[in-house]
Amino acid sequence: MSSVPALPAFRPAGVLGAARKYLRIFRVSLVERLAYRADFLLGTVLRFLPLVTSVLLWSAVYRGSGNDTIEGYTCRQVIAYLLLVHVSRMFSSMPGLASGIAREIREGTVKRYLVQPLDLQAHLLAYRAAHKVAYIVTSVLPYAILFWLMRGYFEWPGEPMVWGAWLASLLLGFLLGYLMEFALGLLGFWFLEISSFLYLVNTVSFFLSGHLMPLDLFGGRMAMFLKELPFQYLAYFPASVILGRESTESMVRGLLVECGWCLAFFVVGRIALRFGLRRFSAFGG
Amino acid sequence: MEGGKDAGIRRGLGSYFRLLGAFGRFSLNREMAFRGNFLMKVLLEVVWLGILLLFFHTIFRNTSRIEGWNEYQYLFFLGCYYALEGLIETLFLENCVEFGELVRTGNLDFFLLKPIDEQFLLSFRHIDWSTAPKILIGGALMGFGLWELAEPVTLARLGGFLVALASGIAMAYSFLLMLASTAIWMVRNQSLMELWWLFSSLMRYPRDIYEEPWAVLIQKVFTFLLPALLVVSVPAEAMVRILEPAILGWTICAGFMMLLASRWVFRKAIRSYRSASS
Repeated sequence: MSSVPALPAFRPAGVLGAARKYLRIFRVSLVERLAYRADFLLGTVLRFLPLVTSVLLWSAVYRGSGNDTIEGYTCRQVIAYLLLVHVSRMFSSMPGLASGIAREIREGTVKRYLVQPLDLQAHLLAYRAAHKVAYIVTSVLPYAILFWLMRGYFEWPGEPMVWGAWLASLLLGFLLGYLMEFALGLLGFWFLEISSFLYLVNTVSFFLSGHLMPLDLFGGRMAMFLKELPFQYLAYFPASVILGRESTESMVRGLLVECGWCLAFFVVGRIALRFGLRRFSAFGG
Repeated sequence: MEGGKDAGIRRGLGSYFRLLGAFGRFSLNREMAFRGNFLMKVLLEVVWLGILLLFFHTIFRNTSRIEGWNEYQYLFFLGCYYALEGLIETLFLENCVEFGELVRTGNLDFFLLKPIDEQFLLSFRHIDWSTAPKILIGGALMGFGLWELAEPVTLARLGGFLVALASGIAMAYSFLLMLASTAIWMVRNQSLMELWWLFSSLMRYPRDIYEEPWAVLIQKVFTFLLPALLVVSVPAEAMVRILEPAILGWTICAGFMMLLASRWVFRKAIRSYRSASS
């Protein structure tokens, strides 16, 4: 590789040049995604319907229990939570990322990252960020309508700090979700077919992240254990912040720990990429 | 034309059963070529069931009833849902999804030429054995629920359950078949899976939870217009709760009507099929 002289046009001009390069990838991907907005809208609308059944189920549960609160949650808070995890997952879910990487490895197309002045991790991050922006922009309207319809379930916090922490936790959730999926996808260097394994991980993550119900409801040690795992930052933590259930201290601590997890998965990804590329052999011309 | 074909090459019921057996064997062979994958899929179902059980266990730690369903009655309901969904996935889901692909590629021609009922052939062609364990798991859950309830299973309850279950399967199958048939006119029907998912998410909870004032309209629509709410609820009610003759009657009736409607839609679709070749 070192024998190939780098073309001047492709030589990255420092950090600024790199930033410009990935910004351009971001823009191209954004245009590509916005071509399918009708599909997005239909998907979003259909995703709301299970919410209706969830609201009904939890109302029935609280009616049956005769209590106003379960593990400190009122019925309205549980329903608000279930809505808010959708916002968390809007940022943190990465459909097709790991399986896409595994496919590129299997089919050998990943070799282009060896010859082009592109870093796999940075390139896919820019690409995903564009997808997320397109997705979030097209879902704002349906979500706004939904939140407005269900406004009775919410008590929004007054302090700007909570809102800031929420935003930070969502953005970090995006980063953590990306870095975790990226590291998973690199397993493709060692295993030929990982799609069913990925499916399994996704299913477990759906549960561990608190998408199904607030983690606190599992009670006692189980809830404590689940809150030690990185998965909670993908859904539970941001929702818990904006519901006003976290103290300033626990909010700051949570964000710091989340940064720690991001760093950990970033390093895992770098190491796996390095070792993976070393054992990688591309086929075909 | 239609009558001529039917009269000329009408086969006995036996040949349908023989063919079904052959489909089953062939699909099983195909599945066993990728054993690791098969085991992974089964493992996934077990994990998913574990999550569901934990979910409902957590709920029932805090309440003794959900709209009149106690924990073991609910377990029976869950088992019924699991078994029914497993059955639909094993027999029909893959076939209906692939129907669109057959239309798009024009390969449907080969199926129409076969001397057997097209709907039978296209509905049962592939049997997805990897989801079959769900039927057993669901059965086991129902058995466990009944055991814990320790109420005698009367013949009337069992009969009601079986008839309602058959009607539920008929409704779910008919809905899928009608969705699949639209592929003829639309060529691509990617929303099939999503609409099926919507239908199955309506089956997932007992119909009693729709008693809230704002949800009554949803309950009425999905009871009388598109009876998704009856599919699992009515058989489970018949077995472990109250056997209501009126709703049971309507379920049987709806099952029949949907079966006839889907047959009609399917035939109409096939008649307007133009092959993809030039």
